[in-house]
Amino acid sequence: MPRFTTVALVAGAALLVRRAVRSRMSTAPLWPMPALDTPVSGYGRGSTVPRKVLVAGRATPAEGVVELRLEGAGLPAWQPGAHVDLVLPSGLVRQYSLCGDPDDGDAYTVATRLIEDGRGGSREVHEQLHEGVEIEIRGPRNRFPLVDSPAYVFVAGGIGITPVLPMLRAAEAAGADWRLVYCGRSRATMPYLEEITRLGGDDRVTVVAEDESGFPELEFLGRLPADTAVYCCGPDGLMDAVGAAMPEGRAPRLERFTAAATVGGTAFEVELRRSGRTLTVAADQSLLSAVREELPGITYSCRQGFCGTCRQRVLEGEVDHRDELLTDDERADSMLICVSRCSGKRLVLDL
Amino acid sequence: MSNTQPAPVASEHVELKARKVSFDWEETPLHWVPGDPFTTHTINVLHLLLPAGERWFVHVYKQALPYITDDRLREDVIGFIGQEAIHSQAHDDVLPHLRKLGLDPTPYTAQVDWFFEKLLGDRTLPPGRPRRWWLMERVALIAAIEHYTAFLGDWVLNADALDRVGADPTMLDLLRWHGAEEVEHRAVAFELFMHLDGGYRRRARTWALAFSALVFLWQRGIRFFMENDPSLLDPKASFADFVRKGRQGVLPSTPAMLRSIPRYLSRAYHPSQEGDTAQAMAYLASSPGANGGR
Repeated sequence: MPRFTTVALVAGAALLVRRAVRSRMSTAPLWPMPALDTPVSGYGRGSTVPRKVLVAGRATPAEGVVELRLEGAGLPAWQPGAHVDLVLPSGLVRQYSLCGDPDDGDAYTVATRLIEDGRGGSREVHEQLHEGVEIEIRGPRNRFPLVDSPAYVFVAGGIGITPVLPMLRAAEAAGADWRLVYCGRSRATMPYLEEITRLGGDDRVTVVAEDESGFPELEFLGRLPADTAVYCCGPDGLMDAVGAAMPEGRAPRLERFTAAATVGGTAFEVELRRSGRTLTVAADQSLLSAVREELPGITYSCRQGFCGTCRQRVLEGEVDHRDELLTDDERADSMLICVSRCSGKRLVLDL
Repeated sequence: MSNTQPAPVASEHVELKARKVSFDWEETPLHWVPGDPFTTHTINVLHLLLPAGERWFVHVYKQALPYITDDRLREDVIGFIGQEAIHSQAHDDVLPHLRKLGLDPTPYTAQVDWFFEKLLGDRTLPPGRPRRWWLMERVALIAAIEHYTAFLGDWVLNADALDRVGADPTMLDLLRWHGAEEVEHRAVAFELFMHLDGGYRRRARTWALAFSALVFLWQRGIRFFMENDPSLLDPKASFADFVRKGRQGVLPSTPAMLRSIPRYLSRAYHPSQEGDTAQAMAYLASSPGANGGR
């Protein structure tokens, strides 16, 4: 019977193949599939996992300032100028610059000043974050990176010294020429004074305490050589004064912590380079909705900056990143257009 | 003939949106179903397949979006894309924890990455019909896979046996949040396929492909985990174990899985005919992970 022979042959062949595959797989269990050279899965951003740290140390480096040592496992590396978001016990989220040692992989250090009439974040840090308390942090992120430069001028006001402190250490270690103007209400309220004077001595560090010598002299900023990088962090008044003292056409690098804006903003222009179109995004409109009018097929989903579907490549322009997903590296050349906007007048997207 | 047309159950339709989630793996042990490595690893295979698989869903659906001419379906697909993107991220974030526990999944996941990004990825095809054919083939594959994710989602929402054996609450929450969203959006992939193509032969062909691929990848994943589990001296996994655990209720039952095959292949099939949206929504409202990790 030909049918019987066929069935027997097929069954026999199947058994042989099964035996061959089994013996091959017993020596190499993952045979026979190829693998991607650079695996993608398992090396994500960790955006769905909360990062917990333990308040392991609490100190008072100056009047009204507490310094917290936050210990955790597998903390990401950071560079001077970086900050973390602290999720406080009440749910408030506040940003604080990292002021410890970037080489310390087991802990972050932050310092905060109690602001009596503030929005409540610093009060919570001072009153509730005692040793042994566990909190969630997000980040670190860096919007205030230290660029390579032969010379630096730093201007810090009060607690604004926190992002600057690791910069001073890095500049000193790199053998760069640096100067610091450190202002504050009085010496007793200015944290890390001793370490800073030890680091730079009187020729690099100028301490301007308001109760001794009033306000800082900033005219020298107008005469700085073009290759000197200027960094400033402190009260708005100080940052404005530094901006005004800079030569025409130059701006200082600033770190400003304000309540994170999530809605609205100013109007700006966006050029969609591949489509050859330019449109205006109104102040009360998201970049996504403006782009959708031109390109209805554009992909998006959550519209809240966490799913990542609407990520687009940025070719030109300063982005005001408001998402919760992208890493600093990803932010360098891309953005989530559902929530992020332009911090200048014009953006160019690869669309 | 009314019984040969897919008939959606209107009351099962809800507006879809991605939910932000948070899962803390710190306390989750290697064998998160206590004393039952086989069940643990059988379910763990999800973490091997879903990060790459659901990233691929998003990738394919982004290309399918411009072809949709129905506004309500487009909204559904947009919601679906966001949910799948978050599922992929959430399962991906389990993998570093497994690595920390001494079970590095990378040799396997690198192959799954290859499977979805190269084998099932975009191909250099001439524009026009061939390109559209490959897109439709993948849209149909996703519809078939989603039949199983909805089946598993419905199963895990009702798998009380996992609670009884004391499975890790965080892992159960991840599975049930994911399962509930799969139940919630179970009709989208099928409706998209019916909207763009709907051919019965393609539906049957891609079902066979998806089913074989799932069985192949799954059994391989279980054996990979069992063999590389640092705490197991005698790593054995067999189909009989699977059937037995299915009977105990800690894994889906084999007869129920077999019964779901003819349902997908029925011409009158519509995903809204099975699963319970109200149960899924109720779970999502109380899931700790989907409500800010509380």
